[in-house]
Amino acid sequence: MVNTKKVIVYSTPTCVYCHAAKEFFKENNVAFDDIDVSGDPQKAQEMVEKSGQMGVPVIDIDNTIVVGFNKPKLKELLGI
Amino acid sequence: MYDLIIVGGSAAATAAGIYAARRKLNFKIVTTEFGGEVATSGDIENWPGIVHTNGIVLASDFRKHLKSYNVEMEDGATITKVEKMPDGSFTLQVNKAGNGTTSYQSRAVLITTGVHPRLLGIHGEKEFFHKGVTYCTTCDGPLFQDKMVATIGGGNSALESALMLNDIAKKVYVINRNPAFQGEQVLMDKVQEAKRIEIVYNANTTKIIGDQFVTGLTYDNGDGKEHQIDVQGVFVHIGMVPNSGFLDIVEKDRLGQIIVDGLCQTNISGLFAAGDVTNVPYKQIAIAAGQGVCAALAIIDYLNKQKA
Repeated sequence: MVNTKKVIVYSTPTCVYCHAAKEFFKENNVAFDDIDVSGDPQKAQEMVEKSGQMGVPVIDIDNTIVVGFNKPKLKELLGI
Repeated sequence: MYDLIIVGGSAAATAAGIYAARRKLNFKIVTTEFGGEVATSGDIENWPGIVHTNGIVLASDFRKHLKSYNVEMEDGATITKVEKMPDGSFTLQVNKAGNGTTSYQSRAVLITTGVHPRLLGIHGEKEFFHKGVTYCTTCDGPLFQDKMVATIGGGNSALESALMLNDIAKKVYVINRNPAFQGEQVLMDKVQEAKRIEIVYNANTTKIIGDQFVTGLTYDNGDGKEHQIDVQGVFVHIGMVPNSGFLDIVEKDRLGQIIVDGLCQTNISGLFAAGDVTNVPYKQIAIAAGQGVCAALAIIDYLNKQKA
């Protein structure tokens, strides 16, 4: 089944869990937009506003915000 | 019944796993997360044979190496208890995140659970975690571009944090409760020369303050006054604590490190430990890997003697 939900990953290049989350999406054939907030203060601010905190990764699945690489939660939201 | 269960998933577990696989033991690696503190290490330039790598790449290389031997790896599973059975084997209670609990039986166990960052234990630290307070500069540092930040600590990890932040933040305070740093001279020299770093010695951080996010911290330097600095980020690097709390059957030192001998044996026959979680000095990736090898070979001897 092709996932049709819009997935955004807010990440930094040096964050381990960001890499883990992106790997997880790739393994499960989930398309996602990767936003590197380290080089983009505006997007960093958007991430902070969406999640109310400053830790990465922040994952936005159809406007539901998940903070950190919470695999069970992501699976539930994606129905995989 | 497994021959061996390796608990943990970084340098020591990988090295032990490679040797156990080559001896064709019936074993698996069970870990809460793969990579451990190696993964968050940032640049790595002291792993022999590799001039330059970084934590994420090295952790991923560890995983690839284990996969090449078809080692069974269970990620996202936390061992909550290890019990010794009357027949000499072990029962391990496992909590699989989101998937309930189970237990495994094994003839030998190797603990390689490493360490986690020490907390300050002060007001505001928990409330502002990920709201300005972080324990991983390499992960979260890039979010503090042109902001005022403070690194707390007096060792190599604090020095490295301050140097990374020097390239990102507007200004970096380093709050050291001691009158000097304890670390590599090369790092200390760089910190002294860094333009955006201001060092505050003999200062105990007392409080982290803020509203929705961190706005500052206070410290005490013994002059009877409370000093406040305005910062948006607080990077805590005050040492590590061994991940040994789940083990109540084994002998530990006062820091909670598992006491091992030269063969990585604990005081419980069949229970071995390797890497940063042990009382072996100098927490280094290469040392953890070497100990992992030593433990694997000692475990193979132990299993062979049991069979005989």
